[in-house]
Amino acid sequence: MSLNPYFLQGSPSEQNLIQDLINEHLKIYGIEVYYIPRKFIRTDNILKEVQSSKFDDSFLIESYLNNYEGSNPGSDIMTKFGITLRKEISLTISRERFEEFISPFLEADISGEKNYSDGGSYLFSTRPKEGDLIYFPLGERLFEIKYVEFEKPFYQLGKNYTYELQCELFEYEDEEIDTDIEEIENAMSDTGYITDLKLVAFGGTAECEAIFIPYGNPFSGVNEVFIINDGYGYTEEPKVTISPPPPIPSEFDRSSLPGGIGVEVPDEAYKAKAVAITTSIGDAKSISQILITNAGYGYTEPPTITISGGGGFGAIATCGISTGIITRIQITNKGDRYYQPPEISIDSPVGVGKTATAISKIYNGRLSEVLITNAGSGYTSAPNITVSPPPSVGFGTYIISEEVVGSVSGTKAIVKSWINPGGDVDKILRVSINSGKFNEGETIVGSSSSAIYTLKSYELDTTNDDYSKNDFIEEESDEILDFSESNPFGTY
Amino acid sequence: MLGTYFYHEIIRKTVVAFGTLFNDIYIKHKDDSNNVISEIRVPISYGPSQKFLSKIQQQSELSKPVQITLPRISFEMSSIQYDSTRKAGVTQTFKASDGTNLKKVFMPVPYNVGFDLNIFSKLNDDALQIIEQILPFFQPSFNLTIDLIDSIGEKRDIPVVLDNISFQDDYEGSFQTRRALIYTLRFTAKTYLFGPIADTTDGLIRKVQVDYYSDTDTQTAKREMRYTVTPDPIDAGPDDDFGFNETLETFYDSRSYSPTQQKDI
Repeated sequence: MSLNPYFLQGSPSEQNLIQDLINEHLKIYGIEVYYIPRKFIRTDNILKEVQSSKFDDSFLIESYLNNYEGSNPGSDIMTKFGITLRKEISLTISRERFEEFISPFLEADISGEKNYSDGGSYLFSTRPKEGDLIYFPLGERLFEIKYVEFEKPFYQLGKNYTYELQCELFEYEDEEIDTDIEEIENAMSDTGYITDLKLVAFGGTAECEAIFIPYGNPFSGVNEVFIINDGYGYTEEPKVTISPPPPIPSEFDRSSLPGGIGVEVPDEAYKAKAVAITTSIGDAKSISQILITNAGYGYTEPPTITISGGGGFGAIATCGISTGIITRIQITNKGDRYYQPPEISIDSPVGVGKTATAISKIYNGRLSEVLITNAGSGYTSAPNITVSPPPSVGFGTYIISEEVVGSVSGTKAIVKSWINPGGDVDKILRVSINSGKFNEGETIVGSSSSAIYTLKSYELDTTNDDYSKNDFIEEESDEILDFSESNPFGTY
Repeated sequence: MLGTYFYHEIIRKTVVAFGTLFNDIYIKHKDDSNNVISEIRVPISYGPSQKFLSKIQQQSELSKPVQITLPRISFEMSSIQYDSTRKAGVTQTFKASDGTNLKKVFMPVPYNVGFDLNIFSKLNDDALQIIEQILPFFQPSFNLTIDLIDSIGEKRDIPVVLDNISFQDDYEGSFQTRRALIYTLRFTAKTYLFGPIADTTDGLIRKVQVDYYSDTDTQTAKREMRYTVTPDPIDAGPDDDFGFNETLETFYDSRSYSPTQQKDI
């Protein structure tokens, strides 16, 4: 026995006294921080790194801020990767408080399955771990524990009473942080790889009616335009001119015509009109389609079609004429909240004939134009026109941190924020940690809230960290690059 | 001597074109059951920037909650060097048209623009996902067709050559410093720099006229026949597919053509 046996070098009661004094000091002079443990979702044992993590628990604990004079000077650094904040803090927490207040709660999840849906697992629970997070409310920041110093002070009365947590600001990737603590969620709402989903709710269905030339009428209109040569070199849509019909004999009783082609209509309305739609591959642009805006009236033989302007040459088109056709389609109700042009369905003629077809265009979510691709034939009465409805679902309030799923793509994401201005204005659902790409037009369903709206469009990289310039680079390069075949590095 | 102002933004266009190669790269993370739980489009940006602009754009809120979001890609121009292996005759010119006027262009000067592409990731696996999506396209070069000078429609194939790959993985040392994982890919873009482009005194020839005289003494003789050729259509450009209109006229009015007044007098 080398030590003096008549003196104690730290009895349990003395050690408890020191621990109590430290706990008391921390409660008086400390600040409250959230200890957020890391759950391992996927670990690569070859490269030796945790590739997916989740932080869904938090514990409020008192701590003493060792660097009370502030974080390390010159910690905000300009790098080739943008601004990097290398702020560091050092916190002292009570060993006893951790072991009694935090460890027992972590114990249950130690041996859990490492499956994401099960919430992942902890490696151990006995001490604070490197890689866990500290939310520091004074700066509203998330720090990652780099190192846990457990021997400072060094075995006073034979025992250690504190942990010193040496922390640096968190390098964030796509870890799920779902602590249910409002201030943490607010701090992280704009951080990370964020996607803004523009959603639409219920909309009004547009309505149209057909103006037609009844079958058997002595005068015809243009029922379809055929492209013989699609031309080349067009830089914009060329002008399509259809030669006018011959004058209608004055003795003809125009009042017998139904549906708007009446006696009051000036002769200008009898001229057939059409527009060209161009298509392009690389720099080469040609005419893909000629659509009828007005089939005209009074033709006795097919008119001549002239295609001019647009910077190109060589396009040639002919057309056919017929009676019993739709001359034009009039929009009676523009509807609202269309995010893509609706389908136009036209009833078939009774008996013999051909069903007319048309396509639509929208502007600001409303039906703006209906263009005839084929004016049909054999109509004896004005056919019924049906416009496909806009999104028919749209209700509920998404909950922060809940999972949302795209109905068609199956893509999952976590809600960051939800802005619903009401009325016709697009609603913005801000999400992150997307498991894939969303499809425009699908419905986005909240797993907890059951909120459901239709996806109009979405935008990547809308974080307040303005580093990403992917889209700017793409826009500028569209002007100067010639990927005649396709861009092997991208899909857009 | 040098003071003719011109700026074709060729180097800037080369920077943009280089950046486009890497602006649509994704990485994925999976759970232990191999379900994709996250898909990230890797952000890219030109590295150098005004310090104050970066500060106010990237840290508009001073209390930014995290250090940085990763992974990230940055690229920057690292060198501009004359490439003598692609040298062409410096006095050679070629003519190009901006649609209405003919332009005289000196042969461009070949320059190699060096680029560094830096990939900063938190995980080695992320960096490897990014690298593997890039490398197969460079064997060792990838050709970009860039419209270097818009006004004359001068498109050039610019090979982008992958020169070397290096990486830094600071995983050793004390726990006071973080692991930094940065891959650096060094490229050379073989571009061309153009000098000033002058309007030529020669316009596009839109009409050729030949007058035939009845005598060799053109002072007194009068033109009696005229052969005229014009392009068809008359507004055709040099690159268009066009034909010719030929006309032959006979005169009995004892007049001659004045080139200065451009009419018969």
